[in-house]
Amino acid sequence: MNLDLDDVSYGVDGTAILSDVSLSVGSGEVVTVIGPSGAGKTTLLRLAALFERPTGGALRCDRTDPWALSREDRLAVRRRIGMVFQRASLFETSVARNVDIGRRIRRPWPQRLRGFGRRLADRLVRDEPTVDDRVLEALELVGLGDAWDRDAASLSGGEAQRVSFARALATDPDLLVLDEPTSDLDPRNTAILEQAIDRSRERGHGVLLATHDMHQAERVSDRVAFLLDGELVEIGPAERVFEDPRDERTARFVRGDLLYDDNELLA
Amino acid sequence: MPFESIADPTYLRSIVRVSLTVSLTAVLLSTALSLPIAFAVGFSEFRGKRLITAVINTGMGFPSVVVGLLVLMALSSSGPFGSLELVYTPEAMILSQCVLAAPVITGVALSSVESVDEAVRDAAYGVGGTRADVALITLKEARFGVVTGVLAGFGRAISEVGSVLIVGGNIAYADGTSKTRTITTAITLETRRGEFETALVLGAVLLALVLLVNGVVMRLGGR
Repeated sequence: MNLDLDDVSYGVDGTAILSDVSLSVGSGEVVTVIGPSGAGKTTLLRLAALFERPTGGALRCDRTDPWALSREDRLAVRRRIGMVFQRASLFETSVARNVDIGRRIRRPWPQRLRGFGRRLADRLVRDEPTVDDRVLEALELVGLGDAWDRDAASLSGGEAQRVSFARALATDPDLLVLDEPTSDLDPRNTAILEQAIDRSRERGHGVLLATHDMHQAERVSDRVAFLLDGELVEIGPAERVFEDPRDERTARFVRGDLLYDDNELLA
Repeated sequence: MPFESIADPTYLRSIVRVSLTVSLTAVLLSTALSLPIAFAVGFSEFRGKRLITAVINTGMGFPSVVVGLLVLMALSSSGPFGSLELVYTPEAMILSQCVLAAPVITGVALSSVESVDEAVRDAAYGVGGTRADVALITLKEARFGVVTGVLAGFGRAISEVGSVLIVGGNIAYADGTSKTRTITTAITLETRRGEFETALVLGAVLLALVLLVNGVVMRLGGR
């Protein structure tokens, strides 16, 4: 899926959170948004995943404005996008059922109701979990193939985050929107998720990533966008943005000496 | 009245049947009414939400005799629903137990729906859920609280004496079978006429029934 943001703005109650942001994510491309906390990265990602509707400008998925579509057609677009949040927020059930949720809710209602009835009956007599191949495959991609029958509540923070990544992968989305997915992870878990990002790119999926980790941005991105106070300061090929940033503020941010005083940028 | 003793299984069976039928029907009806209200209130922000929540919570402690009195007045021949001729019928008892159980179920379900993390709703939406899916997933996340609410409502209904006595009349037929006599009203009667043994057995049956229903529901709810 090709995602295009054209001068997109977003505000709540008259307060601007994003102003005139333009960027695109093509198939098989990893675009990373960097910027200080409060710059609007999460809002940008929520707009990209169609959680929120832009208050200005145009957002297009494959040249179509999803917000001009009927709710049903927009749902079809939304279901081609997978979102991973900074916090894992797994459902209170097994790992396998967490990963499988996206596929379950895509089934027609009669089939879902039959499944629900079967599970209720199972609970009265026995409770033997089973697992689907697609679920296993998604879990194996994040290195948790043998954890499928565990209770989600028993996972460590890193495992839970990997499961929430697998949950997004399981529906095979054309566009992955990842909001600081590795912020709570150790280097090993981070490497596993970065491999999964690479694999998605190889399969031709687009990835829009927000991160605070400059090394990660350098490692995984095709292009990097620097967001500051809701404005896109600079966007370009990862190597160029890190080696030879066009904007002084980008240069200072990637060097790590962009400082704030009372929310004012120090000159 | 030897036929109305614990030695007569017909008497006991018919009382238990009336109790269970009335209370289970009442709880089913009030659950069907309460859960949508709990969801509508829990999922939206509007002026007066705190007032509505306060009214629901007050309803949890509503005295059952007062409910019985109000239902009786509504159903009596001079009341607005007098033409239905429901006074001293199991239907009237179902209605009054419904009124008593609904605030309990709504209140407990509402607080558990509201305690589901916003992030969980986002996650449900993020995997491609429709609004109905998000609501269902939230319900699943809140299921232990919702089940507790339904069980508390059932407990309130089946153990309640005041209103069923007023609107039901504690009637048994001449052959010893119950029309509107429930376990609780039977216990009251047996105690009053000194049949403590029968009253105790009925009490034990009531406890066993509540335990059984709790056990089955908890098992279905996954705990």
